[in-house]
Amino acid sequence: MGSKVDDLFDYVQERCLWQFHSRTWDRSENIDGIIGKAIDLLAGREPAADTPAERCFVADAKVMVADFRSRFPWIREASETEVTEVLGGLRDRLTDLAITRSRNHELTHTLY
Amino acid sequence: MPMVLLECDQDIPERERHIYFKAPGEDSRDYLPAANAPTIPGTLSERGCSFCGAKLVIGGVLKDTIQMIHGPLGCAYDTWHTKRYPSDNGHFQLKYSWSTDMKESHIVFGGEKRLEKCMHEAFDAMPEIKRMVVYTTCPTALIGDDVKAVVKKVTAARTDVDIFTVECPGFAGVSQSKGHHVLNIGWVSEKVGTVEPEITSEYTINFIGDYNIQGDTDVLQRYWDRLGIQVIAHFTGNSTYDACRSMHRAKLNVVNCARSAGYIANELKRLYGIPRLDIDSWGFNYMAEAIRKVASFFGLEEKAEELIAEETAKWKPQLDWYKERLQGKKMAIWTGGPRLWHWTKAVEDDLGVEVVAMSSKFGHEEDFEKVIARGRNGTYYIDDPNELEFFEIMDKAKPDIIFTGPRVGDLVKKLHIPYVNGHAYHNGPYMGFEGFVNMARDMYNATHNPLFRLAAIDIRDDRALLVEEAA
Repeated sequence: MGSKVDDLFDYVQERCLWQFHSRTWDRSENIDGIIGKAIDLLAGREPAADTPAERCFVADAKVMVADFRSRFPWIREASETEVTEVLGGLRDRLTDLAITRSRNHELTHTLY
Repeated sequence: MPMVLLECDQDIPERERHIYFKAPGEDSRDYLPAANAPTIPGTLSERGCSFCGAKLVIGGVLKDTIQMIHGPLGCAYDTWHTKRYPSDNGHFQLKYSWSTDMKESHIVFGGEKRLEKCMHEAFDAMPEIKRMVVYTTCPTALIGDDVKAVVKKVTAARTDVDIFTVECPGFAGVSQSKGHHVLNIGWVSEKVGTVEPEITSEYTINFIGDYNIQGDTDVLQRYWDRLGIQVIAHFTGNSTYDACRSMHRAKLNVVNCARSAGYIANELKRLYGIPRLDIDSWGFNYMAEAIRKVASFFGLEEKAEELIAEETAKWKPQLDWYKERLQGKKMAIWTGGPRLWHWTKAVEDDLGVEVVAMSSKFGHEEDFEKVIARGRNGTYYIDDPNELEFFEIMDKAKPDIIFTGPRVGDLVKKLHIPYVNGHAYHNGPYMGFEGFVNMARDMYNATHNPLFRLAAIDIRDDRALLVEEAA
């Protein structure tokens, strides 16, 4: 599973910006929101898009999932359980990188 | 050796924590250049001041607004005409500059009366203009002129005008970045929500962090028009003062330059619940992705695919022609901050160009997180560089072309390396599909220009023959 998480992680690092928003709270919201919608899309479910924030997560997730499918053929064959597991690993890796171990001192700065 | 102490920095070893060299196998979480930190005494910084960040970058772009600079004439002159952001009303904002022209006696006796007089004078001289931004500068902030009180008096005397105050003197922060911050937060706190826009489409956005450099906004506007999306406000390319007061009515904030305008997008999200979608507008692949994302938010996917297909058919052959000729070239990006992470993958993927060194004058740690994630191994990432560092890095990285501003550009000429204006462009616009072809063309013209090779030849003695042969 590790190498599959690596694939997806490298893609997100190269192509996406949402994991690097300015504050801990919006990085966390984005990572959880977009990965959650991506799991729905990869599992063949229509993701909920009832609020503006959810529609924004879906917009980002759709482009990412389309690229996942074209770049990583294994994801097209993966079961929902595997998709959930791998994308969960991706979420944890991104959270670790962009929040938990981030060396960015402004993420929680009170004078932002 | 992820953090690098350059030879030229032996006497200012504090610079080591600002220079990162990305090597394979390292965990990038362990290293991040210090950024948005005070410039170290002894280093000759290339940074702009905080006032400049507010006036030159954001406020001064507004096309229907007097920019009253309360300070010495130089503060107005040096933030006038140095960036090319045209407008569709005859470039009002580029034609004029306004200053209270503070002299020594005004500093001694106070400048409030002079400011009041100048504000009236400007409105009287330009009776069709009813909007003004007033900026403090270092001296007028230091003497404690109460600019807001003066604005209140002028507004009371002229009921048909609206005035915004930016109290961000040059010394307010470590770089121009502070000016972005102060203007963003001031604007959303005082002005957003005070005008109701005319809504003409059910799909509405604010396009944030684009300043219409050589027509960037025009290119993007054509895309939004074709998708049927109404831009409530451009913040602030080709924009009006009142359009930016009505930003609260957009359904989506589309953010290009997150460094200069991420603050207002965050506040619009917090105060009005408008989501923030960050995009890249430079590069073919990125532009297509951006259009897909915005269209997806509104359910306009089919129109988006039509638009992308048409633009690709029109511009891709030209891009490929340049790609064939630029493949393998090495590039340095020596600019402000965000263009590092906007451009590094775009030029690599779309043009086959390798970015070997990047420096940022006013980027924050967030910008370095982004660019190190996207950038190549074997590349230098530098915060707030000085002149000697520039020469040393160029010697190590050996780029074929450098994207930077005219100030550093003059240094580049001495190295006989071609430079392209990375701030205001050579022959833009550079955004969008056609824009990236323009950028590729300028790179091609620069790297294939024989003058740089000829200029490097010493024509004294026998070597003059080489010049004749080359000719």
